[in-house]
Amino acid sequence: MTQYDAIVIGAGHNGLAAAATLAGAGKKVVVLEKNGDPGGMAANSTVAPGYECPAMAHLLSNLDGAEIASLGLERHGFAYAATDLPTISLSSDGKHIVSDAKGVRYADGGALAGEAEFLTLRARLIRFADQLAALKRKPPPSLSGIDWREAASLGKLALGLRRMGKEDMREFLRVLLSNSYDTILDEIDDGPLAGAFALDSVLGGHVGPRSPGTVLTLMYRLANGGAKHQPRGGMGAVMRAFEKSAKSAGAEIRYGAAVERMVLSGDRVTGVVLADGTEISGARVLSSLDPKTTMVLAGVGNFDAEMIRRARHIRTKGCTAKVNLALSAAPVFTGLSDDLHRGRILHAPSLAVMEKAFNLAKYGELPTSPILEVTIPSLADPGLVDGDGHVLSAVVQYVPYSLKQGWADDSRNALGDVVVDCLDQFAPGLKAAVTARQVLSPADIEAQTGAPGGHWHHGEMIADQMLMLRPAPGIERYALPVEGLYLCGASTHPGGDVTGIPGCNAAKAALQVKLGRAAA
Amino acid sequence: MKTEQYDAIVVGAGHNGLATGCYLAKSGLKVLIVERNDYIGGAAVSRELYSGWTYSNCSYVCSLLRPEVVRDLDLARHGLQVIPYESGATFMSNGDHFAYYSDHDALRREIARHSKKDVDAYDRYSKFVTKQCRFIKPLLLRTPPDPVRFRPRDIQELLYLGKRFHDLGARDMADTLRFYTMSVGEFLDEFFESEVIKAHLAGSGIIGTGLGVYSPGTAYVLLHHYMGEVDGSIGAWGFTRGGMGGVSKALGKAFEASGGTIKAGSALDRFLIKNGKVEGVVLENGDTYTANTVVSNMDVRRTFLNHVEDGELPGDFVKAVKRFKIRGSSGKINIALDGAPTFNNIPGTANFLRGDLHASESLDELERAYDAWKEGRWSEDPYFDMLIPTHVDPTMTPPGKHMMTLFIQYAPYELANGESWDGPNRDAFADTVIDKIARYSPDFKDLILHKEVRTPWDIEREVGLTEGNIFQGELTFDQLLFNRPVPGYADYRSPIRGLYLCGSSAHPGGGVMAAPGANAAREVLSDLGRKGFGRAA
Ligand SMILES: Cc1cc2nc3c(=O)[nH]c(=O)nc-3n(C[C@H](O)[C@H](O)[C@H](O)COP(=O)(O)OP(=O)(O)OC[C@H]3O[C@@H](n4cnc5c(N)ncnc54)[C@H](O)[C@@H]3O)c2cc1C
Ligand SMILES: Cc1cc2nc3c(=O)[nH]c(=O)nc-3n(C[C@H](O)[C@H](O)[C@H](O)COP(=O)(O)OP(=O)(O)OC[C@H]3O[C@@H](n4cnc5c(N)ncnc54)[C@H](O)[C@@H]3O)c2cc1C
Repeated sequence: MTQYDAIVIGAGHNGLAAAATLAGAGKKVVVLEKNGDPGGMAANSTVAPGYECPAMAHLLSNLDGAEIASLGLERHGFAYAATDLPTISLSSDGKHIVSDAKGVRYADGGALAGEAEFLTLRARLIRFADQLAALKRKPPPSLSGIDWREAASLGKLALGLRRMGKEDMREFLRVLLSNSYDTILDEIDDGPLAGAFALDSVLGGHVGPRSPGTVLTLMYRLANGGAKHQPRGGMGAVMRAFEKSAKSAGAEIRYGAAVERMVLSGDRVTGVVLADGTEISGARVLSSLDPKTTMVLAGVGNFDAEMIRRARHIRTKGCTAKVNLALSAAPVFTGLSDDLHRGRILHAPSLAVMEKAFNLAKYGELPTSPILEVTIPSLADPGLVDGDGHVLSAVVQYVPYSLKQGWADDSRNALGDVVVDCLDQFAPGLKAAVTARQVLSPADIEAQTGAPGGHWHHGEMIADQMLMLRPAPGIERYALPVEGLYLCGASTHPGGDVTGIPGCNAAKAALQVKLGRAAA
Repeated sequence: MKTEQYDAIVVGAGHNGLATGCYLAKSGLKVLIVERNDYIGGAAVSRELYSGWTYSNCSYVCSLLRPEVVRDLDLARHGLQVIPYESGATFMSNGDHFAYYSDHDALRREIARHSKKDVDAYDRYSKFVTKQCRFIKPLLLRTPPDPVRFRPRDIQELLYLGKRFHDLGARDMADTLRFYTMSVGEFLDEFFESEVIKAHLAGSGIIGTGLGVYSPGTAYVLLHHYMGEVDGSIGAWGFTRGGMGGVSKALGKAFEASGGTIKAGSALDRFLIKNGKVEGVVLENGDTYTANTVVSNMDVRRTFLNHVEDGELPGDFVKAVKRFKIRGSSGKINIALDGAPTFNNIPGTANFLRGDLHASESLDELERAYDAWKEGRWSEDPYFDMLIPTHVDPTMTPPGKHMMTLFIQYAPYELANGESWDGPNRDAFADTVIDKIARYSPDFKDLILHKEVRTPWDIEREVGLTEGNIFQGELTFDQLLFNRPVPGYADYRSPIRGLYLCGSSAHPGGGVMAAPGANAAREVLSDLGRKGFGRAA
């Protein structure tokens, strides 16, 4: 039987990034993925024959040049179909708002009141986000004694903050844990512009704009200036690049290989057993699953009660669904130019509406007016569709995992209808052009990816579950209290989105630890 | 028109203004307190609005009042008496209830009735909260550091905070960080399974705030209500004999005993400011009093936006004051009762009827009450904190009669559609609450002799608390510690030389605590080169 240096559970992009990093360091690595394709939450799906669409994740923003380079993604086929997408925030009065790196204006080109205030706020939060970004490529600052190798990143943060000047530093310390609602509405009026900006502070989470802590989440999203890019070939193609990166570094990847449990010897992990009974042995196991699922796979008996309690308390209420449409013709949004159709089209009319939408989700109800982030990826990337139809990809925020009536087909259909009806109001005729529809509820997302609650980040991204508290105190540095066992997925620092950083960080943490003689 | 000169003037005779006045007068300064109302106390006041009945018109229970201040100012000698009350309860719609006994064994038995698992959980919970109280308490009577200025005292204070935090050890450090950033709902969910127990405990996390039980940051608000004590018993609450005005009355006596002067019915019109320095105050009646030190007990918004002339303050400061969140979220009803109301299935002798009573039985119910507030409505199914202090303190009513105090969460300052609180809405609000209570107490409505209904508008008008916010400003992280009230001015000073803040807008915030007042006095005395005295200043 082959003995691996490292087994990675899950070929989501973080698992693949971890595998590439480990294999790149000369380790013998195998990635075990239960599904038939790589990518997890970032895979593609076929909505109808000939219609490829990003299944869940569709836009890149937090994928850094640094990871693109270190993983050699471009060499392995990664490319953008469009960069710096304009954001369009739909308004029921037809006065849609466009924002991009240059500024904000009405979709018809008209100037917008509050532009200056908005741009100042955005620029300030981007400055703050840049400072926080100093922490993302290292394990989070530790509470149990300082490791001087890492103190450098903290020092960099402190220095960066000081360099911003007193006023900025004060403002940083004030807004750090506040909510996006107040932070935004202190500067501009509520409406589609405020909604568009706030969406990034709540997207993927079980929080409303009024929830304190959402500014920190917003800053996480602004780390690269907040620009959004569309990958060529859908997010699935990006995953193929991650896969190739891992493979070319020497990692082996097995699909249809669901891990059923881990094998331990004493308090050291020595391998895994697959659902079909195959045993695979390895000196380290890196799991891209959340802590709770990972601990169950390792056997909860191997963790102390405190650890189990902490893992159990991680909040993972998924609140985001996905609706993908195959369309016989390109939709035409009233009041948007052709170019703007290629942008990121939002239905986030105001913070008040968003907060109200969150209310329903809190009590397990379906949205009546959905909050949406929509792209029509086939416009900039015709290769996704065979023929002249189009695909539309809609992330739907405030869809509860624990739906009162449960997630049977009729709930799924009801959600699909709400989304399509909402879009049809802005793009008359869209509804009639739908030839196939795929609705992924948070429960479906959980079933496909194994992420608890179908949660976008594998665990709520809010202050009490970020930095040294992510995913939970005591396991914030990737290692679990079983020797050789690590977490490497979105549940770990710095968090979810397509970044590859948790995977790379975890691999580096695993490489730093010398294993006991018997294991090595 | 009069003109008189003082060493220091305090504007507002709320309990904090009185405390500041006491410390300054005791150090030998000639001090004047001017108060707009005809009575002193601000939100810590007892008034007779119905003949023979004393109401605690605003605040109604005492716990947060710093014992250091009580000792320094000898408040017991000046008549302050706090009587602890035992236990409390939450009524349930199925006719059952959860009684929160102060007796540990009785409480364990009661918890077991609702959930066996929660019995041990409660012990863990209470140990945890007590530990957090111990961590925070010493910070209450200290001036927060300015983390961006690096003056010696800032560095010293930052190091002190850092050391206290570090001394917790890695595990407790993590718990503490989580605790300060999480919601009271999630915090309680981690310990308990019984909804009614969670709902009973969660009230403390939302009282007075524009946040819901699931809003991050509310676990801290819970702590804010737990960090007090009565007779050294941490987390205990009590009644002040004669109502909450008893606190202010004792402070007033202590102040006058130290030679201080109070002028009630004397509303400030504006601060006298020249070349960035305060020189005194002008009252609405035109009287002028001069002093080189003026301390404002009013909230930060009122102080700087209503009483300082335009152009005297830097623009950034004004902007920061304007965005200070001071949202009204509570209402109050005080009721004169012809006798003691009875409650369904509960013997009149039950000792928990002497404590705080509620009728919200799940966290979802509390969260929905918050949703109504967000939309500019009062909650149709409100959370209330209901007490009948006259069970414990019969001095407040004629013999055999009772007084009920009802604190209601949530009531917005701005009603949807710009409606007025005055008139039908005030009545409808009161009816909502009274009808809810009547579901649990069949004879309650018939016992009502008189009621005082106070909406956020009334609280603002009568007490001067902007928007009716009971803490003179939300207790969210962006407005706590060095951020309170405005970053860069957490040391009780202001851009105007000689003008200080001593009200609850300043660190450590609202409640009848007297900590802001004591801290402000310490800073004033240090600027005057005088040594403070006592433990607090
Ligand atoms: C609807 C939705 C939309 C999103 N949109 C965006 C977006 O536009 N931009 C963005 O940056 N982010 C987006 N995200 C978030 C982002 O996709 C995720 O945070 C990220 O992809 C997580 O990557 P991961 O590798 O950590 O985990 P995952 O992608 O969840 O990968 C985990 C992998 O483990 C596998 N697995 C599970 N159990 C087992 C087992 N027992 N044995 C073997 N394998 C197993 C799964 O099949 C899966 O492949 C979105 C998320 C959702 C849900
Ligand atoms: C309904 C309600 C219930 C509460 N319940 C409790 C409770 O049970 N327990 C608890 O601990 N806390 C409670 N609180 C909170 C607590 O009462 C307050 O936070 C605290 O009393 C505030 O004290 P202060 O001295 O800082 O300010 P205030 O009491 O607001 O004092 C400010 C003073 O300034 C005066 N003033 C205003 N404008 C002028 C002017 N122009 N000129 C002169 N004077 C002026 C006012 O009249 C007032 O006397 C409650 C508050 C309210 C409103």
